[in-house]
Amino acid sequence: MAGQGIQRREVLRILGTAAAAAHFPGFSKWTFACGHIGNAALQIKPAEYRPQFFTAAEFPMVERLTEIIIPSDGTPGAKEAGVAEFIDFMVANDPDVKYGLRTGLAWLNAHAEQTDGKPFVELTPEQQTSLLEPLGFKDKARPGAEAGRHFFRMMRKYTVAGFYTSEIGYKELDNPALKFYAESPKCPHPGDPEHADLSSAHS
Amino acid sequence: MAKQIYDVIVIGTGAGGGMAIKTLCEAGLKVCALNAGRRLDPEKDFRYHRMPWDMKFRGLDDPKRLSQSFGYMDNEYTKAAWDHEIPFTVAPGTKWMWPRCNAVGGKTNFWGRSSARFGEIDFRAASLDGYDVDWPLRYEEISPFYTRVEKMIGVASTVQNRPSNPDGSYLPPFNFRCLDFILEAGCKKVGVPYLPDRCAQLTQPHEGHPACHFCGECTTGCDVGAFFSTPYFLLPKAEATKNLELLTNALAKNVLVDENGHATGVAYIDRKTRQEVEVYGRAVVVAASCLESARIMLNSKSRQWPNGIANSSGQLGRNLCDHLYGESARGYLPQLVGQPSFPDHVADSTIAWMPRWQNLKDPHEEKFIRGYSIYPDGGCSEFPWFANELDGFGSSFKREIKRRYPAPVSFGIQAPSLRSDTNFVDLDPEVKDPYGMPVARMHFEWDENVLKMWEHSKQVCAEVLRAAGGVLEGSGEAPEIPGWSLHETGTCRMGNDPKNFVTNRFGQTHDVPNLYVCDASVFLSCTDKTTTISILAFSLRTSEHLIENFRRGEHKAA
Repeated sequence: MAGQGIQRREVLRILGTAAAAAHFPGFSKWTFACGHIGNAALQIKPAEYRPQFFTAAEFPMVERLTEIIIPSDGTPGAKEAGVAEFIDFMVANDPDVKYGLRTGLAWLNAHAEQTDGKPFVELTPEQQTSLLEPLGFKDKARPGAEAGRHFFRMMRKYTVAGFYTSEIGYKELDNPALKFYAESPKCPHPGDPEHADLSSAHS
Repeated sequence: MAKQIYDVIVIGTGAGGGMAIKTLCEAGLKVCALNAGRRLDPEKDFRYHRMPWDMKFRGLDDPKRLSQSFGYMDNEYTKAAWDHEIPFTVAPGTKWMWPRCNAVGGKTNFWGRSSARFGEIDFRAASLDGYDVDWPLRYEEISPFYTRVEKMIGVASTVQNRPSNPDGSYLPPFNFRCLDFILEAGCKKVGVPYLPDRCAQLTQPHEGHPACHFCGECTTGCDVGAFFSTPYFLLPKAEATKNLELLTNALAKNVLVDENGHATGVAYIDRKTRQEVEVYGRAVVVAASCLESARIMLNSKSRQWPNGIANSSGQLGRNLCDHLYGESARGYLPQLVGQPSFPDHVADSTIAWMPRWQNLKDPHEEKFIRGYSIYPDGGCSEFPWFANELDGFGSSFKREIKRRYPAPVSFGIQAPSLRSDTNFVDLDPEVKDPYGMPVARMHFEWDENVLKMWEHSKQVCAEVLRAAGGVLEGSGEAPEIPGWSLHETGTCRMGNDPKNFVTNRFGQTHDVPNLYVCDASVFLSCTDKTTTISILAFSLRTSEHLIENFRRGEHKAA
């Protein structure tokens, strides 16, 4: 299979951990799923969503984390795209990551209590961000927080996967996938094969 | 009721089987074809036009199933088509991935569509570099079959005059995207080729088939048949002759033989009833794909063939080769950062290739023999897979993902392993499949030569990326595991000497004159090119040889 498949493969790897078979009740509450093609209206009602895996205390924390990772800032972010629900659904179906995420959330709460005296969701947005920066930015990393960084990286992977596979995420990127064309789309910059002008015009 | 005897039993309906079925039926022979799975219903089974949010797992698939997934094509969009029931085993030290599409049409339903001819440099490789043996035919003998196949299936490309890549007759090529022009300029500076790939995807209507609509989801199946697959291109022609009986969910078990050890038919398992059934024919074509064909033939043990049918040479299942795949380089093109999104992902990325440029003038120019090809890829894809390599979170992270979205590029290598005595498939002496048939056991490791190609490709691709003004971010840590490419070859190699080869130069087994092999298992070497178009060309040639043998009375018509 020449040359193709790398992209989908990468997507699979984002979440791809070997998973042991385990029974799971079902998907009846999966609010995104199974709409037929063309069912454009994306009805996300977080208030009505009942998490399958996360506890009532954990779910708002997951939701807040996704919102911090991909915020609503002029264009909709992870919260509007219902990414926390996506994560809950995927984790509920993946025995291999449940433990890591649950202990990660507990660690983050303990870390918040220790630093600011409150559980994570009760901190101000500024406090939350400064707590997460050493976990998410390389140049702010502090020694000794390996487990926390690993947890945050995992949460970020899930958030990216959930957001950019949502309709809102497609709009954010103006994702041209799955559209139809009369001829194979061609480079709109004839006469500039190296696209050098493009980059100078841009910068 | 007298038992029905067909002219030919064909095992498999993929590229090799499909071509045999069509060719034999059109010649007036009565054919019974066996397929291990069901027929697909494009409307129901090809879910490729669904957006990720219309899929239960966003197209990412159930995490519980991912570990059992056979490759990137076996996913939430196509899961019903891949065989998960028949296991296989690996010898200690071997890693192997074995994606098997058991649906009618086999892997042609989802294939990558790159369609380069093998060249004289491949057929005479042994004469050039002294390794192994030459193919038992010259390029000029197979060339007309390639031409006929190209006309049948439609291949988009250009005439390129490359010494390793004979040209054919082509539909208009895909247009180059921004990233292609940028990489082409980089390749020019480095002195390596960057050209339109040979892509069996219809850039214009062809032989009654509609033009591609460039949605970019070919490897999850095309519901208009705008690229070659046997269910769209070959089986309807065979069915129109009324000479075809196609049995589905029929898992071939062994070839039946008479007193003389000649083939009389095939025993198969009806997967619906789980009963063993026999069908009879004057000749048998095995085209179940390289490894499964070997398994069936090895499992066809009889008094006459104690080690498997047509295996007096002991070479059945031996000489297994595969394409090494891997990401030789990845990075991004700063020129495209911040540009508007562009539909780059319209061909599942076989728009351009860097066809073999190594060892062309001197077979020992490099530290390895033979050569490899590179498939570049990039631009706006379904998913910003580069995002996880970016730093940070928040608005800056979100903005950077959008800016970088049109800019990523990667280079995938396709490099042939060399034949070796230690790479082969045999029957596991202990493990059986759910129907009681011994499973295939793989013995395989990448050889030193192909690993040198891998190292070489990482250097060259990094150089190309830098010369193109790109930023190199890394490469795959290791090649993909063997089997990943779905290009295994060599278990029934063709050659003139019956002592050393399973089939003759026509794909007819030396030992059993009415037993033919029509898939990549007959290939003497795996070359740097993809296999499908060559499977089609060789199957066409073998099928016509078979028809000729019927005409000459060597196989009595039913």
